[in-house]
Amino acid sequence: MTKSLSQNNSKVVLELKNVTKTYTTGNSQFNALDGVSLKIYQGEFVSITGPSGSGKSTLMHIIGLLDNPTSGEVLLEGNDVSKLKEHQLAQIRNITLGFVFQQFNLLAKTSSLENVLLPLLYSDIPKKSRSQIGIDLLTKVGLQDKLNNTPAQLSGGQQQRVAIARALVNNPKIILADEPTGNLDSKSGEEVMKFFHQLNEQEGRTIVFVTHDMDLAKQACRTIIIKDGKISEERQC
Amino acid sequence: MLKPSLNDLIKSSFRSILKNKSRTILTSLGIIIGVTSVILLTSIGNGLKKYVTDQFDSLGANSIYISPGKVFNDNGGFAQGSMATMMMTSFTQKDFLALNRKLKGSVVMPVNAAYADIKSNQALKKQVEINGSIEEYGKNNNLLPSEGNGKWFTKEENDKKTPVVVLGYKIAQTLFPKSSAVGKKVVIKGKTLKVIGVTDQKGASMGGPSVDDTVYAPLTIVQDLSGKEDINAIVVKAPSKDLIESTKKEITDIMLDRYDKDAFSVFDSSQLLSSINSIINMLTIGLTGIAAISLVVGGIGIMNIMLVSVTERTREIGLRKAIGAYPRAILIQFLIEAVILSCIGGATGVLLGYLGTLAIKPFFPAQVTLSSVILAFGVSSLVGIIFGVAPARKASKLSPIEALRYE
Repeated sequence: MTKSLSQNNSKVVLELKNVTKTYTTGNSQFNALDGVSLKIYQGEFVSITGPSGSGKSTLMHIIGLLDNPTSGEVLLEGNDVSKLKEHQLAQIRNITLGFVFQQFNLLAKTSSLENVLLPLLYSDIPKKSRSQIGIDLLTKVGLQDKLNNTPAQLSGGQQQRVAIARALVNNPKIILADEPTGNLDSKSGEEVMKFFHQLNEQEGRTIVFVTHDMDLAKQACRTIIIKDGKISEERQC
Repeated sequence: MLKPSLNDLIKSSFRSILKNKSRTILTSLGIIIGVTSVILLTSIGNGLKKYVTDQFDSLGANSIYISPGKVFNDNGGFAQGSMATMMMTSFTQKDFLALNRKLKGSVVMPVNAAYADIKSNQALKKQVEINGSIEEYGKNNNLLPSEGNGKWFTKEENDKKTPVVVLGYKIAQTLFPKSSAVGKKVVIKGKTLKVIGVTDQKGASMGGPSVDDTVYAPLTIVQDLSGKEDINAIVVKAPSKDLIESTKKEITDIMLDRYDKDAFSVFDSSQLLSSINSIINMLTIGLTGIAAISLVVGGIGIMNIMLVSVTERTREIGLRKAIGAYPRAILIQFLIEAVILSCIGGATGVLLGYLGTLAIKPFFPAQVTLSSVILAFGVSSLVGIIFGVAPARKASKLSPIEALRYE
């Protein structure tokens, strides 16, 4: 069901080359990631899975440019971003990435619309056009009548849809979802997953989502399984 | 360019402050109290200075005072123990006559003060200041009763020891509440005196005896009442303001012929005024300094709450960073919040200080000055910046991963 892509004729959006992330606690060192190399192609729907402690969260942080690797290269559209400073990474995240979190992470006591527009505060998009972008996106996720509701007035599924709209507001190259259904009941979870598929199939969005749930991971066309900081298996549909 | 714009930052800061109204008020309380007390104290100090100046003006310009003992030290302040020395020595009739003879163009007036109970057929007032002098004293100190309130005593009445008095406005009110005092009799130390005049009302006093609370009588009568032939002090009215200094020099020369240089003091009202003002200034600065400490305490309160706020909003900070907020944007956001908190406190404090000044105005001279408002408000915003930096830095240094993971 997910769009199948021939990897040869599609552009690489993000590439990890032999990435290692080492944490030092006291005298002992621990490799959360140990020589991981992978490519994410434009328009792909990729899931990353693995048991807890496998390093999938660390991998997600590296892909999400939230953290620098200890060694190795992270290429975003061919440019190495692994050694950039925090404020440079922030700007790149703002322009190229959209995040969806397990905890939704919406600002409390703040309307849906303002939550969706939050990333634009840190962007160059002119103020006048911002509001309409937000309204359009909330309409797209079916919340056009909840523009002024605060998160407390929305159900879990609705909150996650606001978060998805927020992830889309900067028209990102990659949408990164970290256990997006983890806090939802199964029905809302299915709806959210359906929405991700829609985004991938109809708009060709690149989606990377991280989950510990093997069944959920199988919904993606490509599944990367992490174990002990290494890619142990890659499945292609 | 700043992203988000300053406008957006201020708007979002206001919003997050308003989300926690009661906390905002409690946090600003320290600043509010600090600014209020700074404004109140400076306005009291300023009012006091204005009051003293006005009082001196009403005492008459161009007056030079000669008092026994050393009143001023070499730095222009009051000499130590001057009150004691003033009480111990006094001048004689001969000193007055010598000055009167040698000073051309100036009016020389001896002054004697006594304290005694005064009673009328209607009331009694205890321990009233009775000032004795010569006829010219009334005119030169703006004490002449206006039409319908009787008259000042004459030279003849002084020379002949005629038992007459002129009452201060309030004394007359106390002793003769129902009718005019002029023409009535009062008794001081068993001696019956006729009221020949009542001075005009000169205004409220701050506790010390004022013109309104004083009784005036011919010098000879006061000398009789106190049983002493001495003169407490001599007032010389210089012909003009320009001649004050030269007249002072003349007086000093005359007095030096008669006394040792530490036995008397010659000063004019501006000298006295500047000494009193410097004391008021010191008091105001000192008290304001103490009040300013509470501004610092208020700043620490703001820092505390901002640190709590940063911890509470760790997830928010993490999220903002993840979606593109660079460290400085977070730093500025939290700094602005701290400054807004302290400015809210500052503005409330200015308002309360102003209202407080209005409230005490009927009882005490007080005057809000623009400079104290600017100073208090400026200092409070500065406190916001200084004490906002630490929490804001903490927020800006949070790693987005740690922040998002925070429960």
